[in-house]
Amino acid sequence: MTSSSTSSRKNLSKIASNRLQKELVEWQINPPAGFNYKVSDNLQRWVIEVIGAPGTLYANETYKLQVDFPEHYPMEAPQVIFMNPAPMHPHIYSNGHICLDILYDSWSPAMTVSSVCISILSMLSSSPAKQRPEDNDRYVKNCRNGRSPKETRWWFHDDKV
Amino acid sequence: MDSDDMHDANDVESLDDDFYSGETEDAPMDDYSDDYDDDNNNNNNNDADDDYFDDGADDSAQSRSTEINFAILKESDIRDRQEDDISSVATVLSIPPVAASILLRHYNWNVSNVNDAWFADEDRVRRKVGLLEKPVYENPDAKELTCGICFEAYRPSKIHNASCGHPYCFSCWGGYIGTSINDGPGCLMLRCPDPACGAAVDQDMINLLASAEDKQKYDRYLIRSYIEDNKKTKWCPAPGCEHAVNFDAGGENYDVSCLCSYSFCWNCTEEAHRPVDCGTVSKWILKNSAESENMNWILANSKPCPKCKRPIEKNQGCMHMTCTPPCKFEFCWLCLGAWSDHGERTGGFYACNRYEAAKQEGVYDETEKRREMAKNSLERYTHYYERWASNQSSRQKALADLHQMQTVHMEKLSDTQCQPESQLKFITEAWLQIVECRRVLKWTYAYGYYLAEHEHAKKQFFEYLQGEAESGLERLHQCAEKELQVFLSAEGPSKEFNDFRTKLAGLTSVTKNFFENLVRALENGLCDVDSNGAATSKATSSKNAAGSSKGKSGRGKGTKATVSSRLTDDNEWSCEQCTYANVGSATACAMCNQERQ
Repeated sequence: MTSSSTSSRKNLSKIASNRLQKELVEWQINPPAGFNYKVSDNLQRWVIEVIGAPGTLYANETYKLQVDFPEHYPMEAPQVIFMNPAPMHPHIYSNGHICLDILYDSWSPAMTVSSVCISILSMLSSSPAKQRPEDNDRYVKNCRNGRSPKETRWWFHDDKV
Repeated sequence: MDSDDMHDANDVESLDDDFYSGETEDAPMDDYSDDYDDDNNNNNNNDADDDYFDDGADDSAQSRSTEINFAILKESDIRDRQEDDISSVATVLSIPPVAASILLRHYNWNVSNVNDAWFADEDRVRRKVGLLEKPVYENPDAKELTCGICFEAYRPSKIHNASCGHPYCFSCWGGYIGTSINDGPGCLMLRCPDPACGAAVDQDMINLLASAEDKQKYDRYLIRSYIEDNKKTKWCPAPGCEHAVNFDAGGENYDVSCLCSYSFCWNCTEEAHRPVDCGTVSKWILKNSAESENMNWILANSKPCPKCKRPIEKNQGCMHMTCTPPCKFEFCWLCLGAWSDHGERTGGFYACNRYEAAKQEGVYDETEKRREMAKNSLERYTHYYERWASNQSSRQKALADLHQMQTVHMEKLSDTQCQPESQLKFITEAWLQIVECRRVLKWTYAYGYYLAEHEHAKKQFFEYLQGEAESGLERLHQCAEKELQVFLSAEGPSKEFNDFRTKLAGLTSVTKNFFENLVRALENGLCDVDSNGAATSKATSSKNAAGSSKGKSGRGKGTKATVSSRLTDDNEWSCEQCTYANVGSATACAMCNQERQ
């Protein structure tokens, strides 16, 4: 596989694990509204429950996000996908991949898991319709063998949703 | 249609002549025809001098082949220019050089665009490129600051920020900048890590915070950006060459030759291809590489197996075909029917009655015709391609010979002939000319391939010129290659060497002029009947002209004027009926047999 997916399986660097510990402490003191961190021993993979915001298409629905951190987090972006079943959304593929620029090109090390979560919830909340992206089948077919969404060349064409 | 065009061209041409020469009384043609008759050295030279202004003016009006409108930049030149541009912007806008550099990058290194935009709306430009005037984030006046990336607390001296004030520690800055630099040239537009902040990270910060290796990469990207983003500069496309070219628009001539001796077209960056235009070159290159010719070949030489449809070529033998396994279908090559229906009664192994009958009914005609046409077109293409390619390889060979000459033979020759190497320059010049001529000649074959089939007059004229060019170049090549051998293997100085010098230098100059005229004629779409057959053949073969001191010493305009006049001063005539440019000696048109008026 390519470098980015192998590096994401490498152990966290010291800087990365220090920072993640700080993020986790901050999360526990001050969790973002609508999210639950599923406690585990694995600092490199977080599972976070997302609760659809009231008054939106996803109200009262619960989904799970899986966040994997690369060796050089936060210089490199985390890999964030929805676990099965992924919410029906024009920017979320049925395999859980999310088309959101801050997860790829626009990632900045000054962002945090918490800020990413808020962006994802805001993306869900502004959805006009529960539907898959137009190219869902083609994309998912090309992503077999567990390819990471970070290897996709994303084209962020729609900033309304 | 065509003849009209040619008439127009002639009219313009003759007007020009009158205008520039100032000779309104005498028709220039009469003058020249006299010269042509008593063809001798002095007369030719006089002519040349007389016509100097005439042709000079003409040259600049119709072709800029010798004008230098480009400059080759070495790395040091590139850096100098870049620094000049940066400091000029910095001075005019009263901003630090690193800020000027960021501005220039955003405006593709166009100094006047930067100035215009800045003075039109400074605030907007500042926001766009991230040059903030004051911090947007005030660091609390504390003993410790928290880095926005690793969230560790540091003393203020361990924290650094861009113009916005967002605090990050040195190590996080290093990681941030390093990641960006390793992601590619996007690092030149690096901004503060804060997602909501657009403050630019300038080169001073890079130099302070990045590793030595990263700084070097950044520097490389900066140089590349200066060449690649600037509309007026490009890298030399030759492999391994690190020079760049600055090209000033204006003029039709896009040919550029780099210090590395590679010549290329500024416009399309393919190798230099005068007299052929960029469009033709790209078509030709595509054609050479495309599957289309393979397809044509398959079409022309194969038939699909009637059962499995794979194309089959029949190169020998009888009409009884057996497809390759696993198909193994047996069929008749002519009618493509199953072989089981064939035999004695259909004409045996070498004929097919069914086919003959069907052909008579017209059933097979269409496919046959298509196949036939494809075959013809393929043959035509092959004809031009082979000649194009062989000139290409001759050129490569000539380049190698030139190199050999420069590195090995020159020194030896200088010893045996007791001549300083500076006196042997004419040999290198001859070889350089050969290399250049091979290039031109090569492209004339692409030109010929695309020359409209129905313009017979043009085509014949073109082929004539091409033939002359080919034989003129052969003569030069022969002289530079074979006749030089004698002196290379000689033990001591020989008297004939000076004759050889005169001959080779003469041939070089004459061939150069001929090819320059050829290029011009082809670029003008052959509407320029000036460079007609008799004149050109005279130019290549006339030894006396070659030996004249004028031909050798005159470079650039002077030389050109000499030869232009020689080429145009003949009493060529255009046929009244078909406008074909005939040689002076012809009494009837070579194209249509119309008698000369």
